[in-house]
Amino acid sequence: MANRSILGLFHEATSTADTIDRLRDLGVAEEAITVMSGVPYTPEILGRRPVYERLLPIALLGAVGGFLAALFLTVVTPHLYPIEVGGQPLIPGPPTIIIVFEFTMLGTLLATFGGLLAEIAFPAVGRQDYDHRITEGHIGVLAVVDEALADQVEGALKELGAHHLKIDEAHHVPGPRPWRRLAFVGAFAVVPTVIGLLFAYSVLVIPLPNQMVNQPSIAFDQGPRLAAPAEAVPIQGPVLIDGLPASAPVPATADSLQRGSILFSINCAMCHGQDGGGRGNLSGYFNPPPADLTSERVQGLTDQQIFLVLTQGRGLMPSVAENLLPVERWDVVNHVRTLR
Amino acid sequence: MSVNEVEHPVWRRPLLEGEDLAEQAEHLKRRHLLLDPKFPWEMNDDALKPMYRTSPSFWVIVVALSGLVMMGAITWFRQIYWGLGITGLNRPIYWGLFLVNTVYFIGIGHAGTFISAALRVLKIEWRRPISRAAETITLFGLTAAGLSILMHLGRVWKFYWLLPYPNQRQLWPNFHSPLMWDFMAILTYLTGSTLFIYLGLLPDLAMARDHTVGWRYRLYSILSLGWRGTEKEWAYHKTALDIFSYVIIPVMFSVHTIVSWDFAMSIQPGWNSTIFGPYFIVGALFSGVAAVIIVMAIIRKSMRLEYFLRHEHFDGMAKFLLILSFTWAYFYFSDYIVPWYNGEPVMKVVFDVLRRGWAAPLWYLMLFCNLLLPVATLWSRRVRSNTAALVMVCIYIQIGMYLERYFIVPVFLGYNELPFSWGTYIPRAGVLLTIASFAMIILLYMLFSRVVPLIPVWEILEGQIFQGLKRIGRALLPARSEPH
Repeated sequence: MANRSILGLFHEATSTADTIDRLRDLGVAEEAITVMSGVPYTPEILGRRPVYERLLPIALLGAVGGFLAALFLTVVTPHLYPIEVGGQPLIPGPPTIIIVFEFTMLGTLLATFGGLLAEIAFPAVGRQDYDHRITEGHIGVLAVVDEALADQVEGALKELGAHHLKIDEAHHVPGPRPWRRLAFVGAFAVVPTVIGLLFAYSVLVIPLPNQMVNQPSIAFDQGPRLAAPAEAVPIQGPVLIDGLPASAPVPATADSLQRGSILFSINCAMCHGQDGGGRGNLSGYFNPPPADLTSERVQGLTDQQIFLVLTQGRGLMPSVAENLLPVERWDVVNHVRTLR
Repeated sequence: MSVNEVEHPVWRRPLLEGEDLAEQAEHLKRRHLLLDPKFPWEMNDDALKPMYRTSPSFWVIVVALSGLVMMGAITWFRQIYWGLGITGLNRPIYWGLFLVNTVYFIGIGHAGTFISAALRVLKIEWRRPISRAAETITLFGLTAAGLSILMHLGRVWKFYWLLPYPNQRQLWPNFHSPLMWDFMAILTYLTGSTLFIYLGLLPDLAMARDHTVGWRYRLYSILSLGWRGTEKEWAYHKTALDIFSYVIIPVMFSVHTIVSWDFAMSIQPGWNSTIFGPYFIVGALFSGVAAVIIVMAIIRKSMRLEYFLRHEHFDGMAKFLLILSFTWAYFYFSDYIVPWYNGEPVMKVVFDVLRRGWAAPLWYLMLFCNLLLPVATLWSRRVRSNTAALVMVCIYIQIGMYLERYFIVPVFLGYNELPFSWGTYIPRAGVLLTIASFAMIILLYMLFSRVVPLIPVWEILEGQIFQGLKRIGRALLPARSEPH
């Protein structure tokens, strides 16, 4: 049972190497000898077995991880909510290469750093066999040996020029166990992420006052829009909004319905739901909730009334006039008619 | 010290016999840091002492800079409250000083990584004492660049929309957008450089831990993670540094290329250029190396690091600067002559503005700073060995490179394909925020220099152990050997 730790300090590399040879002759196991220095002496200089280190495979693993993460973000996520824009490909090649490159590099760097910490058991906590003179140019040889060998080792160190000896009970410092280390690192990563997400998903909201809306600016299609009087009769034919050109309905052809369907899923579905039932992803944030477009009340409206709601908004629903041309709004109206 | 000096053969080699050779050895010792070994404990002191030295003028400068930073913070809050309109940005010039600063700060951040990574890979020995001082510029340059981008956001509290997570509409950010390239590249580079500087610091933090008391001891104990310098630690440390060096060089190239692509991907005349990537990289290295020289000179003087930072280091950097000046001119000319020969009407107008329009004085000043002055002076050893002259040249280069970025961003942007929408830009609140950004970098650097040893002691000791003198015929020459 190894129970003595003997640390000797040497001036330079040759006597250190001789000492290691002598300790080996005395029967001290190779793993029981540790050399510490303030300058990177290689194992060849000290006459020791090369350190078996596996940082490169870890780095490669990180590269693969980064590569796959990039593929997920660039190839998979656009398919989760496909938005076709002007005939451009959903997954364009060259920009994907850029993101893949950056993530691969980031993965490599993070894995290298993480691998270094994990492999040499950093951060090391608790007492360690060490002497502060090691960073003053001295080379420390630490041997952890049996009581029986201790005197011989001590003698050998002294004989070969150790100018300081530090003998101690071998205290086994196991360091934090891997799962505890993992839990520690995990907590460090997860807690800020969770707090960040609480803000990102508006669970926690900090109201920030600002005057931006009061900047002098002209909104798209801005004009004086008067609400229709209560007794107004629903209009037929082209819709006439004060200050805007008349807009005639678009026939519900297959083309129009297809366009309407795509535009609906981009502009409306997040609140009204893909089926128009009023249960979109954002519906929970509104009170009153978004209208059920399949209901009697909505379907009972005329096309022109629906067009007006799209153009001017209603209640909590904003105008979509900024996003949709009048013709496109009629396409959406035609689509809404199919939601029964 | 506790150890008799004579007992310590590594650090004091016997002088060579013969008066002539001894003189040569003495001469080489004066010139080369690695041939002028000191005892490690002396060197530790030399590296740690400047951290405690805070003269009254140091604190006066800190307070003044903090005041400027506070002014910047107030201006930023005003800008957030009132909108970007108060910075003078308006149609058609949507990109102003903030983007100039972003490009400039990312630019000066390039030299640090280049010096510590590329020169490490190439085993160029004079990099050793300057690597950390240079990397620190990278660290704070990138911080300032990131902040400049945030300043450019009208609704800055929505910045997290850039992060890769699905929003409430289950939409992910568009990873094919140049904004996303930018964000990812800067994030990768900032993460990489931070970890890189930290890796290199580990042994020195352990050194600082062993030789300090009080709060510094506690701080360094935590930061050094229990470093003891065992063989295993050194072996992993070396491999990690090697991997970082090789990986971070392409990342460095990608960052400024992608920044340039933010411009080049548009159809804006003057921006839409295929040569922008390498042109920006050379410009970045140019201004970055000049910035490192300025910082080296300042810390050498103010922290009394004359032992570490010698003529050989300034000389190496200045020669590199000269080459970069030529390279920059080559790229600038290439970027100039193609649209000039092409003769596109709007580019004719832009070139006229530069050559004899309102921007002409600044344009000629830029050419003077970036090409004429460096080329006319840096070939001379007398200039290279005179720190004050060298710093002056480097300051002119900073001015020149800032002007160059200024021409690219708000000046070119004022002249698009539709003359009815041309415009000019008057930077208003942006000026205050620019001053504050510069103040912030200097302030952070000053405070950092008093907490972290700016001189990589272990790297210098390593170099001193493995470098020696070799006698060939009648001459003594520096010989380097390094264990693989």
